[in-house]
Amino acid sequence: MNVKLTCERIDQDQHTVLLRVSGDVTIHTSPRLREQLKPLFSASMKQIRVALDGVGFMDSSGIATLVEGLQWARMTGGRFVLSGLSENVRDVFELAKLDTVFEIESIPA
Amino acid sequence: MTANPWIQDVAFPDCENSHVGKICLQMNCNSDCVHILRSIVAVMTARTGMSELQSNRVAIAVDELFANIASHAYDGKPGKVEFECRIDESSDSGGELIIDLRDYASCNWSGCLEEAASRTIDHENPCPGGLGLKLICAVVDECEHTRLPDGNHWRLIFKFNGRTNT
Repeated sequence: MNVKLTCERIDQDQHTVLLRVSGDVTIHTSPRLREQLKPLFSASMKQIRVALDGVGFMDSSGIATLVEGLQWARMTGGRFVLSGLSENVRDVFELAKLDTVFEIESIPA
Repeated sequence: MTANPWIQDVAFPDCENSHVGKICLQMNCNSDCVHILRSIVAVMTARTGMSELQSNRVAIAVDELFANIASHAYDGKPGKVEFECRIDESSDSGGELIIDLRDYASCNWSGCLEEAASRTIDHENPCPGGLGLKLICAVVDECEHTRLPDGNHWRLIFKFNGRTNT
C-alpha cells in the first residue's frame, strides 16, 4: 500500500508524452494524478501514454480522472493509451465495463 | 528485572479462542482514511482465506462507500464515520465477511441500489458519475442501506467458502 502518488513526466517527442504513475490511486491521491494530466490535454499534444506499472490499487476516482483523458482523445483525435495494468487494476476496469473503452496495452511502456 | 510499566500483557479471555474476531474503528472522514480502511480489509480478508483479487474487490467496495460518505453525505466537510468489520461463520453454507459503515450526516442517501447496479456505460461518451456505486454493487453479495434519523447505515456482505485462516 502506498499513501503517496508519484507521477513522472517523460516527453518522448514534441507531441508525445509518457506519464509514469506509481502508488495507489484513491480519492485521496487522484487529485495529484489529475493535476499532472490536465496540462497535457492540449491541442498540440498528439499522444498521451499513461504507464500504470507502479499502481497496485485504483478506485473510481482514478478511473474518472482517466476518463477525462479519453474525452480529450475523442475531442482532439489524439491517442490516450494506458499500459502496465496490474491484475487488480485491470479487474476494476472490467467491473466498470470500461476495459473495452480505453486503449490498453498489455506490455509495459 | 523491573517490568516496563508502559508495556503490559493484555489478555482478552473472551476472544482468545476466537481467531476471527472483529475490528471497529471510529474516524473523521478525511480522504486519507481510505488507506487505513484498506489495511483493515487486507487483514480481515486474509483471515477469511480470500484470494488477492477477492480482497481487492472488498477493498474497492469499502473505498468507494467511504468516498461516497465523505464527498456526498458530508459534502467534503468533517464528519464522523464508524466502521466495523467482522467474520461470521455461523452459517452452514459458508462464511460471511460483514462490513458496516455508519455516518451521522444530516442528509439521507436517497438513491436506488438496483439502478446503480444496472447502470450502463455509454461507450461513445463515457461519464464517470455513479461509477462508485456500480463498482460496489458489482463486487458485493449483498448491500443494504438504512436511513436513520441521524444519518445512514450501510452493510456490505461478502460470502466466502471454507474455514478462516489463523
